[in-house]
Amino acid sequence: MKALRADLRLAWELTRGSDRGEWWRVALTATGAALATGFALAAVALASLRGSYRVSVAAGLLDEPGTRSGVIVGLLLLLVPVLGFLGQCARVGAVHRDRRLAGLRLAGATPWQVRRIAALETGLACLLGSAVATVCTVLLLLRQWDRPTALAWVGITLVAVAVPVLGAASGALALRRVVASPLGWVRRVGPRGGRGPGLLFLAGVLLVGVLALLTVGTTSPAASNRPNGGPPLQLMGVVLAVGAGAVWLSGATAKATGRILAVRARSAATLIAAERLRDDPWSAARTHAAVLLVTVVGTGFLGIRQVMSDVVRTQRFSAPASYYTTGLDLTGAAIAIAFAITLSGLAVGTAESLATRRRGLAAQAAAGVPRTVLGRALLLETALPLAPAVLLSGLGGTAIGTWYALLAGRPVPWAITLVPVAVYAACLLAAATSLPLLRRSLRPGELRYA
Amino acid sequence: MSRPVPLLSASGLTKAHGRTPALRGASVDLHAGEILAVTGASGSGKSTLLHCLAGIVRPDEGSVTYDGRRLADLPEKRLSELRRTEFGVVFQFGQLIPELTALDNVALPLLLAGTDRARSRTLAGEWLERFGVRGQQDLRPGEMSGGQAQRTALARALVTGPRVVFADEPTGALDSLSGEQVMTALVHTARESGTAVLLITHDAQVAAYADREVQLRDGAVAPLGVTA
Repeated sequence: MKALRADLRLAWELTRGSDRGEWWRVALTATGAALATGFALAAVALASLRGSYRVSVAAGLLDEPGTRSGVIVGLLLLLVPVLGFLGQCARVGAVHRDRRLAGLRLAGATPWQVRRIAALETGLACLLGSAVATVCTVLLLLRQWDRPTALAWVGITLVAVAVPVLGAASGALALRRVVASPLGWVRRVGPRGGRGPGLLFLAGVLLVGVLALLTVGTTSPAASNRPNGGPPLQLMGVVLAVGAGAVWLSGATAKATGRILAVRARSAATLIAAERLRDDPWSAARTHAAVLLVTVVGTGFLGIRQVMSDVVRTQRFSAPASYYTTGLDLTGAAIAIAFAITLSGLAVGTAESLATRRRGLAAQAAAGVPRTVLGRALLLETALPLAPAVLLSGLGGTAIGTWYALLAGRPVPWAITLVPVAVYAACLLAAATSLPLLRRSLRPGELRYA
Repeated sequence: MSRPVPLLSASGLTKAHGRTPALRGASVDLHAGEILAVTGASGSGKSTLLHCLAGIVRPDEGSVTYDGRRLADLPEKRLSELRRTEFGVVFQFGQLIPELTALDNVALPLLLAGTDRARSRTLAGEWLERFGVRGQQDLRPGEMSGGQAQRTALARALVTGPRVVFADEPTGALDSLSGEQVMTALVHTARESGTAVLLITHDAQVAAYADREVQLRDGAVAPLGVTA
């Protein structure tokens, strides 16, 4: 206990003495943890319901176990972009943090001490976000639900504890290389090459999948009109398979784009961007994978939405039309939230990549490399690998929309082909939010600090 | 007999970083083909002087004149172009792009100037040859020794045929043997091409390579006289 207190104090002192980047990391990590907690708590609260209920929100969508399990899966799926976002947050100030902790090792700290401090740094930020989200969710829940069941309280407690614990564990795991080789890390000046697609992210996605299986498996069979949770599970399986494939696809696309363009580049900006991609194609793979997922799901959904809206408008069903339109609107809102989180992750990742390289960039500018060239290279690092990947995922989403339209015997909603274009433009805009930071990074003052 | 007009001239430069003064009325001249060492203790304003002379930062007071043109009158875009074409800049570390190979790093200024990729790479290869690092042309900076990286940086600074090279502690991060190799290569090439060199150093052995040495003390220049 005494050792933990000492580590806690040291972690606090290190964070307090850190630069603005570290505070950004804490704030963004807490935000990500709050989002994760919020979505998980909502899913847990719904999963604790058994049988039919009258829920005053969502136009009856939450009343029956069948549709409720679909909403639960949707909420759990929202955790995937949040995981990508948290992964990007962990990279903010990563180089400086790794050096600082490696410095601790050199100063005599044991590997276990360094791991504990790293875990505390991340865990505390997650605890903050988790606590805020838990308090807000519980207050909101008590306004809708007079007496939540014991199962709901157990689930809420588990989520509130699990988020900071998982955050702390991932913080410690992320530093395994520093712990193993402090000297090697301190001396490393360039970015790491040949990294995998982010085992922590994939483990997180797997965890989300297992949770979804558990919740659907325990809630859906209780439905009288739907004996099993087959469709949501199949959807979940497809999305997870596509998600895992998307991580590899985006990394592989970045690598191939870098390799092809590096030898053919005619301009300095393209050369710099292509070589950066070739050197570390996995750096943005998680965020890009989330972009691909959102593109597939968003394009496909808009196609399905258009067809379903058409069907609901022209045919009569037993449930009121608002039941279906609310379902469509909620799904649309969830996809929009996922897209917003993904774009935030992209912006954070681009900003972090700049912050890590700021001294080198200032040296480039001092040596006469125009700011416009460096700015173009920054945008190209996002634009080049995303172009083929978004095109492919847009085609996939359009195929889903077309298939559904043909199935329902309705006209194909061709307008959805514009979705990938809009996603691509939004991604470039998200990357462009770092351009003011680039301007600051090029200040001669950066040359004065190592 | 009239004194030759200096290629680069600074007069009465003052510059403060926040509330800390770095330069207090520093004046210095650099003639074409001359190697000038600027020495001084840490914090004496050496790097700030180099930044002002190279047009990287604008002084608070005083003026810098290059080839008859006041740098203060040039827009930022023109200053960047000047640093890319007529000046070469070498720092202690950090100026090479870590993701580019040595060959592409050296070819970069040519590519920026509009030379096609193949020609840029050919010329870059020749400069790497001159500095004895042709064998490392496909390595990235992180894969080279400090001395090899610094010789690559020198090749990059000289590849456009600049009239002035600014070198800020170019051997500061090197062992004595590597430092000697870097300085020999720099001085030899500068003499051969008639390039003026402004060398910032706190090392007397490095300063000994220069034609002339000036010392900065508390942000002002105290001349020492001819050393070589």
